[in-house]
Amino acid sequence: MALVSAGFTAVLFLASCAAVQSGADILAGTGQISESDRQSIAKTSQAVSATFSQITEEQEYYIGRSVAALILAQYPAYDNAALNTYINTLGQAIVYSSDRPEIYAGYHFLVLDTEEVNALSAPGGFIFISKGLIRRCKNEEMLASILAHEVGHVCSKHGLQAIKKSRLVDAFRVIGTEAARRYGSEEVAQLTTAFEGALGDVFETLVVRGYDRKYEHEADDLAVKFDVAVGYAPKGLTDFLQTMIGDSTTASGKGWFKTHPSAEQRMDKVKSRIAALSSVPAEASVRTKRFEQSVTALK
Amino acid sequence: MKRPIPLTMTVSLLILIVSLLVAETLTVKVQSTSLRNTPKFYAPAVQSLSAGEKVEKISAQGGWIQVRTSGGVVGWVHSSAVEVPKFDLLASNKGLKTQASASEVALAGKGFNKQVEESYRAKHKDVSFAWVDRMLQIKIAAALVEEFMKKGKLGEFGGGQ
Repeated sequence: MALVSAGFTAVLFLASCAAVQSGADILAGTGQISESDRQSIAKTSQAVSATFSQITEEQEYYIGRSVAALILAQYPAYDNAALNTYINTLGQAIVYSSDRPEIYAGYHFLVLDTEEVNALSAPGGFIFISKGLIRRCKNEEMLASILAHEVGHVCSKHGLQAIKKSRLVDAFRVIGTEAARRYGSEEVAQLTTAFEGALGDVFETLVVRGYDRKYEHEADDLAVKFDVAVGYAPKGLTDFLQTMIGDSTTASGKGWFKTHPSAEQRMDKVKSRIAALSSVPAEASVRTKRFEQSVTALK
Repeated sequence: MKRPIPLTMTVSLLILIVSLLVAETLTVKVQSTSLRNTPKFYAPAVQSLSAGEKVEKISAQGGWIQVRTSGGVVGWVHSSAVEVPKFDLLASNKGLKTQASASEVALAGKGFNKQVEESYRAKHKDVSFAWVDRMLQIKIAAALVEEFMKKGKLGEFGGGQ
C-alpha cells in the first residue's frame, strides 16, 4: 500500500514537473514571459527531478575514471602482468553472466599493492582487489565471489547512488537544454565543481565510510547469483567471510573490515540465500590448481 | 446519442498503431561493441558497432537482441549495450523530440565529459591518470575468456546455470 501511494506521489511529482515545463512553453508562446525565462524554467524543472538513474553510461565512465585515479592515489597498483591478466580473465567470465555485461568502456580489474584486505569498485567498471585480500583466498571460488560482489556493485550502480542530489541538480541545470557538446568557461567551471563534489561523495563512500548495509547485502546476493550463473560454487563467499570472523590482526581495522557490515551478519544472510537454491555448482580441482599457479607471485 | 470521435484522438490512435507496426530502432550506448553471429559473448563478431549507431530489432532471446544494421547486416547484440526506446506518457503530448531529449543519445557527450575531466585534471595536477589508462588497455579477447571457461569447466562447459 505504501509502495502504491509512493508511486502515485512520484507520478504526480513528475507530472507536475512536466506541467511546469509545458506551462512555461505556453506562456512563452503568448509573449507573457521571455524566451530566456522559458529556458530557465525548463532547465529548473528538469533539474528538480534529477536522480542517479539519469546519469548516462558515458558520464558514469568519466566519474569512474576520476574515482579510480583517486583510489590509485591512495593505493599503488601492483604491476604484475600475469596476475592482472588472470584477474581480468576471471572477471570477464563473471561479467558475461552478470546483469549488466556491457557498460560504456567495459569492466577492467587491477590488483592493488597493499596488504590491507580490500576490494573496491568505482562506477564505470574500474574494479580493484588488494594483494592482502587475494592472499586470504584459498581457491578460485573465493576470489570469484569477491570479484562477483564488486561486479554486483557496478551492475546496480551503487557508487553513483552515493552522489548527493544537489550535485546532480547543479550538473543537470548546466546540461539542461544546451545543444553544444563543448561548453563555455563558465559552464565548465560549474560542471567541474559539481564533478568534484560527485567524486568526493563516491570516494568517501568507497574508501572511508562504506556503502549503506543494504547495498552490501544486495552485492552479496548478486555475488551468489553470478557465481551460480557462471558455474562457481557460491560457498566461495561464505568461505571467504569465515576468514574474516574473529580476525584480530592489524588488518581488522582497515579496508573491508572498516567499510563493510560484520562478516557474521553477512554470513547468515549469504548462507540462507544459498540454502534457498535448488542446486549449486561444486568446486573443481582444475580451478584450484590454476588459482594456485596464478597467485604464486604473492605466496 | 452517438458522438463523433474527435480528430485528434483518431490521429493519435493511428500514430500509435503505425509506431507499433514499424520496427523498433535501438541505439548503441556503449563506446563500442560487437555484432555477433550467435547470442554469446565469445561468438565470432560479424562487425563492430560504435556509440550512437542505430540498429533495427528483429527478435529477442534471453538478454540478447537480434538486430539488422543500416547496411543490412544481421547479428546479435546484448541488451545492455543498446538503448531501448521507452514509451513516455508524460512526453507523449510533446512528440518524439521531447521523449528523445532525456535519452542517452541526446545527452551523448554532455555533462561530465572529457572536457570536464580535463578541467578537473588541470585543477588537480597531483592526481595521476596513468594507471587508469593502463587499466583500460588490459583487454581480454572473448576467445581467451572462452578458453578459460572451458578449461575451468565453467558456463556451458561445466556447471553454469
